[in-house]
Amino acid sequence: MIWDILLSTLRLSIPLVFAAYGGLLSERSGVANIALECNLLVSAFVAAAVTTLTGHLILGIFAGIFASAFIAGLFALICVWGRGDQIVVGTGFNLLAIGLIPVICKAIFGIGGSTPSLPSELTLHRVWPFLLLAIVVLFLYEFLFRSTRHGLRIDAAGECPEALMTQGVNYKWVRVRSVVEGGLITGIGGVYLSICQGSGFVREMSAGRGFIALAALIFGAWKPIPTFAACLFFAFTDAIQIQLQGKELWNFPIPNQFIQIFPYLATLFVLVVVKRKISAPSAINRA
Amino acid sequence: MKLKALFLPLISLLLGLGVALLIAAILGESPLKVLSVMIQGAVGSPTAVGYSLYYATPLLFTGMSVAWAFRAGLFNIGGEGQMALGGLTMSAVGILASDLPSWVGIPLALFFSFIVGGLWGAFAGWIKAKRGCHEVLSTILLNFVAFGLVGFFISNVFKNPDSQVPETKAVGLGFVIPSLPNWIGGSSPLSWALLLGFLFLCLFSFVMERTRLGFYQRMVGGAQGLALRAGINTNRQIILAMFISGGLAALAASGPVLGFALKTREGFTANAGFVGVAVALLGGNKPLGILFSSLLFGALTKGALDLDLDTQYVSRDLALVIQALIVIAVASQAGLLQLFDRFMKRATT
Repeated sequence: MIWDILLSTLRLSIPLVFAAYGGLLSERSGVANIALECNLLVSAFVAAAVTTLTGHLILGIFAGIFASAFIAGLFALICVWGRGDQIVVGTGFNLLAIGLIPVICKAIFGIGGSTPSLPSELTLHRVWPFLLLAIVVLFLYEFLFRSTRHGLRIDAAGECPEALMTQGVNYKWVRVRSVVEGGLITGIGGVYLSICQGSGFVREMSAGRGFIALAALIFGAWKPIPTFAACLFFAFTDAIQIQLQGKELWNFPIPNQFIQIFPYLATLFVLVVVKRKISAPSAINRA
Repeated sequence: MKLKALFLPLISLLLGLGVALLIAAILGESPLKVLSVMIQGAVGSPTAVGYSLYYATPLLFTGMSVAWAFRAGLFNIGGEGQMALGGLTMSAVGILASDLPSWVGIPLALFFSFIVGGLWGAFAGWIKAKRGCHEVLSTILLNFVAFGLVGFFISNVFKNPDSQVPETKAVGLGFVIPSLPNWIGGSSPLSWALLLGFLFLCLFSFVMERTRLGFYQRMVGGAQGLALRAGINTNRQIILAMFISGGLAALAASGPVLGFALKTREGFTANAGFVGVAVALLGGNKPLGILFSSLLFGALTKGALDLDLDTQYVSRDLALVIQALIVIAVASQAGLLQLFDRFMKRATT
């Protein structure tokens, strides 16, 4: 039982980790990214749709990841040059994903909402490549922020864009670049949802994971290793939720709805208990 | 200045509509057909107009809800959850006290619903004020919790035993908001809840513009530093703003629950909470703007329903696409304006 929970924690942490890592890159550069949910949905949908249409899994995976990067790029361009509130723009993108995906889905497959279920040979059955990739990305991030110029510039764009301008670097492009890169990373998490965890895309299948990932990012103080740990914690609450379903507590069946809201409650609890430190990038959501 | 104030929402609207029609064209559906189906569906007959107004009713409330929070510098996207809880509360009051006469019943249901939705919003406000967590994150998470709670109460506590779908029992007769006469809404479920919406819009306008409460709220939203120096308890104002915002969102359930279905079903909110964001933004967070944009989006929602049947390649979700695009366009006003100015300069020189 404990072994089951641990394994399922690892599995459930994958989309959270990649989404939080995508958000990390974007937020460290000063773009508040509430649109992680949108990225997850888009990549999950495109991966499933392209795999179904072409019959090639690899093609689907890459299409999903690039679709996420594309929509992230659009988001970044509008945020940086539209100079609007990034949170509002991000909410618009989330709504766009909720509306546009069923429309496209109906046009292609004739049914709104979900893609046809993928046959078993067109889904991934192994989880460890994703976990390995997550750890690789973790080390990459550590390297990026400790010892590369790009990492330094990302932080400068997020903390004090004026300083970057005096260096002759346009912080706007730094932001766009890191949001797009973040989109690529988040896309991996979305692809995992529809290709590995499930078989095919289901309407709103990300179920708020983009927002939980954002909470993990805050909980992890925008740092790679603590964020990873926070994702594991939230995945753990989700794993418990799945374990508890249909179980009885002292001979009293727990209502299903209460079990399902457990991960969200845990996330809220953490947000309430942990007072947000000042560690948020100071130029976040500032044009 | 007046011209600019009208010009920007109009451009955003055209942008949203244009891009959505372009998407429809890419998907293989003639944009003209989409447009004509939507217009026909929204205002083609008295009943269609009635339905458009019926869909506009909750949007009026959720639009006010988002706008109130915006004016106080907050972004409440928890309207979905607050509205769902509001509907549940109306049902609960209507079932538990089903014998009350109308003149007590309806106000009582509205009152409790406002309080419950308000407290739900105020919790997010409290997290924001005391814990510094952005209200968008907390309200979204609270939405999921609210859906779970409402689902539990619908299928366990107030369950209608005669129905296969999860829904509550019907409210007592004293809680039914009567329909408007047929010459206004045809045979649509349009009810007096719309007039209630207008009433609250006037109230919104008065409190926001003419009272001390509204002044404090706007000050906290517009110049928090100034508000602090003026000795205003900004934390309290933030919690209060979220309370009012949540309460307004809860009242959005009055049309669908007390005016039409008489019971709360799962998913009855139908994204009205999110569309409220588009309503408030397009309406510039002003009462008159909210009025127009909620009517527009009500018509859009109704018009898009027919897309499912009358077109081959697009679905009703196109309305959501248009609304999302409008949100993005309105939010990017500063950039659009700059683009426009540059364009004008180039055109004149």
